Amino acid sequence: MTAAPPLPRTTASGRKSTRRAISPHYGARSLVAKIVVHLCVLIGVVLSIFPFYWLVVMSTSTTAEIFGYPPKLTFGDSFVENVRNVVQSVDMLQALTNTVIVSGACALLVMFFDSLAAFAFAKFDFPGKNVLFVLLIATMLVPGSLSLVPSFILMSQIGWVGTLQALIVPGAANAFGIFLLRQMAAGSIPDELVESARIDGAGFFTTYWRIAVPLLRGGLAFLGIFTFIAAWNDYVWPLIVLVNPERQTLQTALQNLNSLYLTDYGMVMAGALISVVPLIGVFIIGSRHFIANIAAGAIKG
Amino acid sequence: MTAAPPAIARPDAPAPAPAPGRRDTRARRRRRRRENLPLYIAISPFYLLFAVFGLFPILFSIVLSFTDWDGMGEISFVGLAQYQFLVTDDRFWNAVGNTFIIWILSTVPMLFLAMAIAFLLHQNIRFTPLYRVAFFLPNVTSMVAMAIVFGSVFSDTFGLVNSAMTALGLDAVPWLSSPWGIKITIAAMVIWRFTGYNAIIYLAGLQSIPTDLYDAARVDGASLLQVFFRITIPLMRPIILFTVITSTIGGLSLFTEPQVLLGDGGGAGEAGMTIVLYQYNQAFTQFDFGYGSAIAWALFLIAAVFAIINWRLVSGRGDGPARRPRARKDSRR
Amino acid sequence: MLGAAGLMPLAAAGCGSPETISEDPSELVMWYWNRSASPELLDQASSAIPGTDKHVRADVIGTNFDTKLRTSLAGKAYIPDITYINSNNALYFTNEDLFLDLDELGADAVKSDFYEWKWELGITPKGRFCFFPLDIGPTGFFYRQDVFEDAGLPSSPEDVSAAITTWEDWIALGAELKDSAGSFLVNDAQNIFEGYLNSSPERYFDTDDNALYLEDGSAVRRAWDVTITAIEAGLTAKIPRDRGTDQNAAWSSGRTAGNIGAAWWTQILAESAPDTEGSWRIASQPVRAGNNGGSFAALPHTCKDPEAALAFLTWINSPSNQALAYEDVQLFPSTPDSFTDLSYSGTFFGDQDPLDFFSTAAETVPTSFISAWETMIGGSFTFEIANVETTGKDPDQAWADALSQAERVLTKRGVEV
Repeated sequence: MTAAPPLPRTTASGRKSTRRAISPHYGARSLVAKIVVHLCVLIGVVLSIFPFYWLVVMSTSTTAEIFGYPPKLTFGDSFVENVRNVVQSVDMLQALTNTVIVSGACALLVMFFDSLAAFAFAKFDFPGKNVLFVLLIATMLVPGSLSLVPSFILMSQIGWVGTLQALIVPGAANAFGIFLLRQMAAGSIPDELVESARIDGAGFFTTYWRIAVPLLRGGLAFLGIFTFIAAWNDYVWPLIVLVNPERQTLQTALQNLNSLYLTDYGMVMAGALISVVPLIGVFIIGSRHFIANIAAGAIKG
Repeated sequence: MTAAPPAIARPDAPAPAPAPGRRDTRARRRRRRRENLPLYIAISPFYLLFAVFGLFPILFSIVLSFTDWDGMGEISFVGLAQYQFLVTDDRFWNAVGNTFIIWILSTVPMLFLAMAIAFLLHQNIRFTPLYRVAFFLPNVTSMVAMAIVFGSVFSDTFGLVNSAMTALGLDAVPWLSSPWGIKITIAAMVIWRFTGYNAIIYLAGLQSIPTDLYDAARVDGASLLQVFFRITIPLMRPIILFTVITSTIGGLSLFTEPQVLLGDGGGAGEAGMTIVLYQYNQAFTQFDFGYGSAIAWALFLIAAVFAIINWRLVSGRGDGPARRPRARKDSRR
Repeated sequence: MLGAAGLMPLAAAGCGSPETISEDPSELVMWYWNRSASPELLDQASSAIPGTDKHVRADVIGTNFDTKLRTSLAGKAYIPDITYINSNNALYFTNEDLFLDLDELGADAVKSDFYEWKWELGITPKGRFCFFPLDIGPTGFFYRQDVFEDAGLPSSPEDVSAAITTWEDWIALGAELKDSAGSFLVNDAQNIFEGYLNSSPERYFDTDDNALYLEDGSAVRRAWDVTITAIEAGLTAKIPRDRGTDQNAAWSSGRTAGNIGAAWWTQILAESAPDTEGSWRIASQPVRAGNNGGSFAALPHTCKDPEAALAFLTWINSPSNQALAYEDVQLFPSTPDSFTDLSYSGTFFGDQDPLDFFSTAAETVPTSFISAWETMIGGSFTFEIANVETTGKDPDQAWADALSQAERVLTKRGVEV
């Protein structure tokens, strides 16, 4: 295994210096520009946060307060009670464990398999590549909602009904992520790097690990986060395929809080909030990689 | 890990393109096969999983579209009857029209806004991590909450938007009971939910743009806007293509927003009925799986046509310019 | 024709997957949804169904209940031994073979305990009794007494009931309400259309699949005409039901002062408009009470032990246990005897006792037949009603469109009318 060559000398600390360098250039306008920029961003931020804020408010309210008129936009004092109701009705620990396993496994597998395929598609030629790629894109257009019955039959035949792998394996690689990472790789992995790795005698998988993975960090982080979220929030398929109360995901458990006539919305909102908090954590951790300097990390070695 | 180094795509070729024709000797072919093996292994997981878990359901749903089935009992073949019904079904064509209108109303502003936000967040402004989280929140705000929030905000008589508009001396708009009001409200909801998402994709893409180009622009004395249009946009082209394609697919299969806002019925006069909502309505409230499948495959055709058109429009002369600087110079004389 | 499995080589090939969910032969798995059975009673049944050596494992299935049930039935795998089914049980008539005839198991022994009209709703067109009665939803006219009083209208439940014995009277009262208080009678026209049909002995079809709605002077047409009259008189607030927040605001503010609602609406109202406590009363709706909602239970053909399962159903739905379920989770009993043990203690309806009102109303609900085809075409009519109401579509055109849409749908589903 030969070490991949360093990046061409442009980017090692390029980002920071670029920023520092650009700003003086716009000195005169920069203050006004900055204020305008912040103002625009702030408006967007307020609009984005507002419904989430309302969700938090609702999780602290009774059903009566939620549907009151005019709507109440300040915190109520039923949060503890709502959470207690959720915890009493749902085996949170069990559901949370199952969901973390499913979402984590999905995210890791998708990140690995998709980036591998994306790197091959973006930077190499091989017979049948175009046809295979078009096929891949076409599968994204295939309608999914009608596959419940045949998928269920498939799972019951291979004995996977009621198991977590029924939620993990079918989605372990997806067209969406391969397409995304291929597009990212097209722009961010310099051919020179791949070429020099080849000259050094590095094989495909070595090149992938040494060059593609570090350079695709932002894209991988994005894919991982949103695969995690999608698996976390998936409802209908887990509902169909999980048949034991001890094998529930958070979503199937929380949906059980809805009742036929009278639903306790304060409790439902508290449940929704509880299920969302870990996702925000995952995002905060994962999104650091969006600003990771492309020259950083593994490549230097 | 020590397999022979595989062939590299020519940097300036309009990707994806096969290697230019060479005279292949048998030995060379054998070697190439061996070189290509890791590549096929790399792409195989998706295709294997698809063959095992995806193919049967797809074939099943194609077959279903030629049948009458209620989702549990007997399946009876009806030939092309479902498709014949579809072609003359006013409700379906209304849904097609609605879907396209909402798609245009939402996708165009959404992608522009997302790019602007990503570009701004990519500048070294303060609180960027906080802003990122803020723009992320719409992705995880629960659907039940959204239904209540948007229902309250856009309520005709009691809503915040109309209260604000009347306070400003404007006429109240029947957001949820007029054909255009419904479409605009749904589009607003789509923009609200997915602008941050696309901005995050763009941000992930922006961070990978080689900074030597910014250095060059600085030397040339380019303005911020010039940097944006001359460097950022061209280099982001593959990612823009990705978002356009996925937004097209997502927009044409729009379902969650109208359902959350208006229920399964699509609102007054079905002004908010989209293709997939109609399909859901037929398959899962009417339990007409045969017709639901026919609608799904009609949508597949429509989406395929539009994906191709979009691909052509956005990728233009191939995504060559978005590659490395060297490639860029080459392809632009 | 071929079975679902015929298309599915995999399903036909193997018998590898179990038909029932639990491997324990003494455990019957039941699917239900939150608050559709008394937790206390389920708890008892989880150790043993009284009089049997079997026990019940009750699994809550949240939303998309029908999808889950259908998928397991279609896949012939992991089917529950007992399943609850909502008031849309007619949707399962076309596949009644998938469910056991409970009369063959001796269910008719308890028939006299139940409201007859509810029992009849569980009988399929072929005359098989597949759907065991759970709760019911007798209807009445809810109204804001304070608004009625301010408008100088009759305001006590007795006076209002007496003033609206016909639909014409009811509309006349609504017109007065509109004139003097500016309030609407109901939030949406669909409420009137369904309120009418739900109280009618005749609906869209009879048990022989004759399309009654096509006949002159049919119940559907009369319901339509009454609804159109109300729309044209401006008595509906034009807020469709899918906009719950708007509807609540209209009721809370008094902008809309009435609703035709079922017994279960009392709790929803109390929860969603608590500020209006004491302002609401319930009057008898025009002509007679109807039924809206109320669930059933069924035994899939794969049920492990039908006798024990039926023993469970008769036990959990006995008059005394339904009374207990009412106190526990407010399920309105389908057995008249339950009410002797029950009393209401609340003030949301002032001094009026809704339990008393609805148990009396339940006596007058007519026996009717809901066809599987009705569930397919009913939407065409309510859709056109909404068009007339919100977009001002010409009623005659709307009626013609509803008929032709209904005919198209029925033809496609292979039903000749």
